[in-house]
Amino acid sequence: MKRITFLLFIGLLFFTGCKNKTIGVEWKFVKQIKLDNISPIGLQADGKYLWISDAKNNRVIKTDLDGSIVKKYPDIKRPMHLSLYNSKIFVPEYLTDNIITITEGKIETLQLNEKPNAPSGISVNDSVMAVADFYNHRIILIKKGNIKIIGKEGHKKGELYYPTDVALVNDKIYVADAYNNRVQVFDYNGNALKVIGDKDKINVATGIEVTDNNIFITDFEGNRILIYDLNSKLIYIINKHLNKPTDISVSENKMYVSNYAGSSISVFEQ
Amino acid sequence: MKRIKYILLLFILLGVSSSFAQDKEVKIRVDGLSCPFCAYGLEKKLNDIEGVENIHIDFEKGLVTLNIVGSQKISEDEIKSKVEEAGFTPKKIEISDFKKTSTKTIK
Repeated sequence: MKRITFLLFIGLLFFTGCKNKTIGVEWKFVKQIKLDNISPIGLQADGKYLWISDAKNNRVIKTDLDGSIVKKYPDIKRPMHLSLYNSKIFVPEYLTDNIITITEGKIETLQLNEKPNAPSGISVNDSVMAVADFYNHRIILIKKGNIKIIGKEGHKKGELYYPTDVALVNDKIYVADAYNNRVQVFDYNGNALKVIGDKDKINVATGIEVTDNNIFITDFEGNRILIYDLNSKLIYIINKHLNKPTDISVSENKMYVSNYAGSSISVFEQ
Repeated sequence: MKRIKYILLLFILLGVSSSFAQDKEVKIRVDGLSCPFCAYGLEKKLNDIEGVENIHIDFEKGLVTLNIVGSQKISEDEIKSKVEEAGFTPKKIEISDFKKTSTKTIK
């Protein structure tokens, strides 16, 4: 009997090892959207469309949910992680240190009073904007015109090391602290509230998405998506159908993941 | 006489244009270029160098190639400094032009 129990246990271990790691609510793979000659970095789902930063070709594109391009916005110098707020797309322009906005097809340039050095991610929410400042290892927070600097270079709690993405949700700043291989959470005063994922062997945490219930982070080199609840508990890992994931966008129970090396978008649903 | 002047002028023009044709090709070998934020960051830093054009980064090979156009002088130290600013250590830098090739391995 002991032998059977042992074999069953081994079988169970093998079975769970072959599947996506299920701890909480499961995400199922739906399909792969192929992109032609595009290595996507930033991604924003917008109803029946996807906004994609195509850094390789210096442009932002809008596609339908099959990956067909419906609109191109050229001459944007290495666009990175995007933000969508009130039908306006915000694009950090990595090479010029500017923020580009796209509204109803119109492109404008927004110059920041506090200049970043290689802006890699942006989040806009009401009257607040946060910019991930890659080479200065900090977040620039602009709240009603006032600038607050969040974080500094380092590896301790409250310090950042090449941050690549940021999300503003419920008066908190969630940072993809890429080369510290973790997520950090700050309040608007710059106080470090939480460190998430530092024990989960993330290998370059490039992109972040935060919903009402979950925190999603891409593990670029590890080819994984790690999903946490808002208490920082790891509840689900996706480790299939990914190829160097850089960003995540969740919309209407679907999760879209940009695969930088795979030239594709992976779609999952709950 | 006019014909001689014309030929002389032609030679001068040819000489001037060839003296400006000092385009150089630079090859830099760097480890750890897989992340696009790092690779485009390196591109951004190298763009600061005067006369730099056609930066190409091969992620898989860890090879950066670029051209320096016109009569701009370029030193290996300047390139090394920009690569380090981007957060990398250059393994090897090669600068070549039409006449000679200089190769320096960074240890």
